[in-house]
Amino acid sequence: MTAVLERDTTFDKDFETEPYEVAWAGEARWFVQLVGGDGAARFVTQVSPDGITWCDLDDASHVAGQGELVSWPATGFGNWLRVRAVVEGTVQVRIHLAVKA
Amino acid sequence: MTTDVRAALLAADPRLSKFSPLPRILAFDDFDSGTHGWCELLGNYNGRGDLGTVDAHMRDFRPPQLSSCTFFDIGTHGAMSGTYALKLATRPYKGHTAVAIRRLTMSGRGLVQLETYFAFKSEATLGGGAELDTFGDVQWDGNTHPSEAQFGAFTVATDLCGDGGLRYHTVARYQNTDMDNRFTRQWIAPTVPEPTPREHFEGKVKLEYAADFTAPNPEDWQAFGEPQELCYNEVPTKVNWHYLRWLVDTDARRNVELQVNDRVMDMRDVPVPPYEERYETLENLLNFYFSVRTHSSVRNFLFLDSVLISVDW
Repeated sequence: MTAVLERDTTFDKDFETEPYEVAWAGEARWFVQLVGGDGAARFVTQVSPDGITWCDLDDASHVAGQGELVSWPATGFGNWLRVRAVVEGTVQVRIHLAVKA
Repeated sequence: MTTDVRAALLAADPRLSKFSPLPRILAFDDFDSGTHGWCELLGNYNGRGDLGTVDAHMRDFRPPQLSSCTFFDIGTHGAMSGTYALKLATRPYKGHTAVAIRRLTMSGRGLVQLETYFAFKSEATLGGGAELDTFGDVQWDGNTHPSEAQFGAFTVATDLCGDGGLRYHTVARYQNTDMDNRFTRQWIAPTVPEPTPREHFEGKVKLEYAADFTAPNPEDWQAFGEPQELCYNEVPTKVNWHYLRWLVDTDARRNVELQVNDRVMDMRDVPVPPYEERYETLENLLNFYFSVRTHSSVRNFLFLDSVLISVDW
């Protein structure tokens, strides 16, 4: 299944995506596009035991520049996934999460 | 004899015996096995895929999720059937609505029935001060919990079109609280058709983010039936499944009745206002949607264990 967690949303400060439940899934992959704005952003996968309290999954961060699509897998997650983003300038983002059993 | 055999077969199947289907089952959606075509609703966009042309109030209805109903306090609650339910989740933004839609077409006219087992919850609040023991009408007393007053409304509705582009919606909404977070616990329905992207394109209407997309003006809703208390069950992490059965007539283009647990409400006098103008590309449209709308800054959830759609044609 694929969920669109942000759909061409514009941010001018750091943000996190809404919680998304993935208890049923064994694989997950993020696809993040910067579709507009004048800035850049760095993304980190986060996990949670309850959909409320969060921590980083690992030390990896993923940088997207203007017009770029970046993608990375998430493994060893629990029942929820989200990404947090560190934003410089203004970014308009499209974020897909692809998950498989 | 055929009727008896059918009744026996339905009664002997634990997946179906909790429903009361009409003669033809169009869809049986047990969300333990997937989303069964219930997907996010999105407003229309232009020929270049420019999502900036989507109406602001229809651009963020959130993807439905397969939820194990897992909570901070007890872990996995699970669904009524198996582990997973379909979850609609709002953002924590007053007025925000999450919508899941299922798209079919009609091969006849007549009775259409949607049944579901559902539960509704607000997201748990963790931390904060003693002021969070009060919300809306509720003061935490060991029984009632402020979480219940943080739940706004959920809706079941159709989008129907046929007979030369005549389009209309049937709608039933459970309003748990008003926008001031006071309990109303009332079933309501709109007296006007839902604003459409074409009306926006034609400059007739423009709504803001988090407007009520079904009918944005609270004065365009009217009550039906008596107030009904449902089983929120005290805290935000207990999930009790409710039965809902909703019957509409696509031949008469009317509502018929709504059953929610032990309450059956006659809906035949509830208005079903059609659009004045005809629509193209929608012939025999048979769409169903569920939505959940928060009236607070707390995420609201609608959980569906399963849905059965049946018809008499």
